[in-house]
Amino acid sequence: MTTRAEFMERVRREMARTRGLFPARVAERPADPMTAAELVRRQLAERWPQALERFRQEFERLSGVFHAVASPSEVPAVVGRIARERSARRLITWSASALGADLGEGFRGEGLDAVAMPDDPVDEAAARELRAINAAAEIGITGADLAIGETGTLVLVSGRGRPRSTSLLPEYHFAVFDRRALVETLEQAGVMLEAWHADPADPMSGGVINFITGPSRTADIELTLTRGVHGPREVHAIFVSR
Amino acid sequence: MAPAKPALERSGPHLREEDTLLSAPVESRSFPERAAGATRDRFLQQALTIATTRFVASRDEVFAAFPQGDALRDRARQIKEAVLQRLDHYLEQLTANVERAGGHVHFATTAEEARAIILDIARRNQVKLIVKGKSMAAEEIHLNEALEHAGMAVAETDLGEYIIQLAHERPSHIIAPAIHKTKAQIADLFARELRREVAADPEVITRLARGTLREKFLQADMGITGANFAVADTGTIVLVTNEGNGRMVTSLPRVHVALMGVEKVIPSMTDLVIFLQILARSATGQKLSSYTTLVRGPRRPTELEGPQELHLVLMDNGRVRQLAGTLREALYCLRCGACLNVCPVYRQIGGHAYGDTYPGPIGILMTAMLRGTPAVKDLAHASSLCGACAEVCPVRIDIPRMLIELREHLDREKIAPWPERLLFKACGWLLGRPALYRLAAPLARLGQAPFVRDGRIRSLPSFFGRWTRTRDLPAVAARTFGERWAALAREA
Repeated sequence: MTTRAEFMERVRREMARTRGLFPARVAERPADPMTAAELVRRQLAERWPQALERFRQEFERLSGVFHAVASPSEVPAVVGRIARERSARRLITWSASALGADLGEGFRGEGLDAVAMPDDPVDEAAARELRAINAAAEIGITGADLAIGETGTLVLVSGRGRPRSTSLLPEYHFAVFDRRALVETLEQAGVMLEAWHADPADPMSGGVINFITGPSRTADIELTLTRGVHGPREVHAIFVSR
Repeated sequence: MAPAKPALERSGPHLREEDTLLSAPVESRSFPERAAGATRDRFLQQALTIATTRFVASRDEVFAAFPQGDALRDRARQIKEAVLQRLDHYLEQLTANVERAGGHVHFATTAEEARAIILDIARRNQVKLIVKGKSMAAEEIHLNEALEHAGMAVAETDLGEYIIQLAHERPSHIIAPAIHKTKAQIADLFARELRREVAADPEVITRLARGTLREKFLQADMGITGANFAVADTGTIVLVTNEGNGRMVTSLPRVHVALMGVEKVIPSMTDLVIFLQILARSATGQKLSSYTTLVRGPRRPTELEGPQELHLVLMDNGRVRQLAGTLREALYCLRCGACLNVCPVYRQIGGHAYGDTYPGPIGILMTAMLRGTPAVKDLAHASSLCGACAEVCPVRIDIPRMLIELREHLDREKIAPWPERLLFKACGWLLGRPALYRLAAPLARLGQAPFVRDGRIRSLPSFFGRWTRTRDLPAVAARTFGERWAALAREA
């Protein structure tokens, strides 16, 4: 087996035989990602209505469904209406602390079987049970850490109370966010990514960050666009204005 | 660690004909035979025309509405070159950061070594069922056959790849692996494999695949993916998919193995965002694919799910020696497939005719990289050198230049057949002697006289007939440009 040292030695040996094709530089990164991110946030404090409008347009172009509500307490009614139209009942949601609001009662009030993901790790038996619940769920409720106007993309970071699969296994995914998540461009999202990773201990720096741009789709059979291959066939964005 | 057995020594009841492909080329038919077969396949011709036309139109449309696209492509090209100039540094940094995040990094010089590493990880974890995301690198090393031979079940989960796997075939397009099959053929295939009635409707077939593969995702012990990028600064593996299978594979099984060529490493998240802006646009005409998944290390202590083990396999397999080789620029490739869709040769013959893992213009270069120049002695000529590939390439890889260099090499190393070499030699000799060259036109007019009809040569005798069998040649003009120019100069 090749060791790391042998492998790198070979790379260096071959590199030494050429100066490359032309002088080239990598992308210039923000010198201080935290300050750069703060600057983006400050710009968006004023420009968020434009960013939101752009997001809505792009998101709808992807066949996403956009909703706006005044407060988190109105979220369950939106979800409940869609669920009834789709004959769906089983709902899983990020934890109350991850969502920033406890909507469990609200969902149950809409006649939905709502299960919130726990904040803390659970034992193996409970994990198996949760997985069965997740696999059978029809509706998944998450937050969104970024909503990118330019592309209609929702960015979700996994972590405490925010499992990777809540936005993946159910057929209908609802992402709830407010103006703090809005950015206009992918480039600004790049600044946020740099900032999240500036401190390795930052919970926003991992395990998995998903950029979700519309529903799960394929065109693998005769190039016919089909939605909901493995992930959700519908994605709903709920903007909370307060 | 037990090395994988060479392909030809293997035997067993589940061995299929294509199992002998581990190190051999895909087919015994020659490239001209495969290409001729493809041009006679009427469905394939139709499918290729529809698919490539649609991909090209979507790509052109999305770039037309993206004025900064050209500048971003220049930057992306620079980043790829800059990474290769400090490849050791970025690989060391990537390794350190993957390990810091709790992952393991392995180094594979050859395809055989990569297979052995992955087999060993699977054995140590007593893996029975593996779910795979779409990965050209895994195709390249024929990983499935090796895992299946070791008694493990492997499920491809990209719908196109799943279809190809059920049919025991190979992908015919980098991003649309099953474009050569009709929905009726796919419905029949599913009916046979799943033993039930299946309507020839993409929606119905997709629902069925969702259900079948969902079970596998939930049961699988191990997930295998490729990597579209790996970010050195953070140790992040980046997967770009539309279906969500890449997310399933990295969320549900307890072990995740990512296999990548060394050239996929990029410096930072800022670089990543530049590539993301041009990758999906070039591949499918989307602004972004449905899912871009950034994976950093195994499951965190605060997480309920995600793999407990994460392994990254860094693979050389012929790439590293090209750092100073003629194919260096091919190491920029993002595997978007844009060069396939615009290639007049690919559009006629499709992916299988190329006879190896990577089809199309970039595929010829990849085949030369993986298997050596002699493997492309026919393929190197499967290009009109029109330059359409270089024009659409998101990182502006000069594919025609490298094809010409390959042809030169084949000639110099006497790999090309002698009549071809003799012809090139004669042409070169003549072109270097202007006085003789001027004499050549009147001589050619004499020589061509018996064969010219309506200004074209449609059939030539003996060896030269191989050219005119599938195309014609314009006849040497009654007065060449050189002759007219000389006459004009005299008048003036």
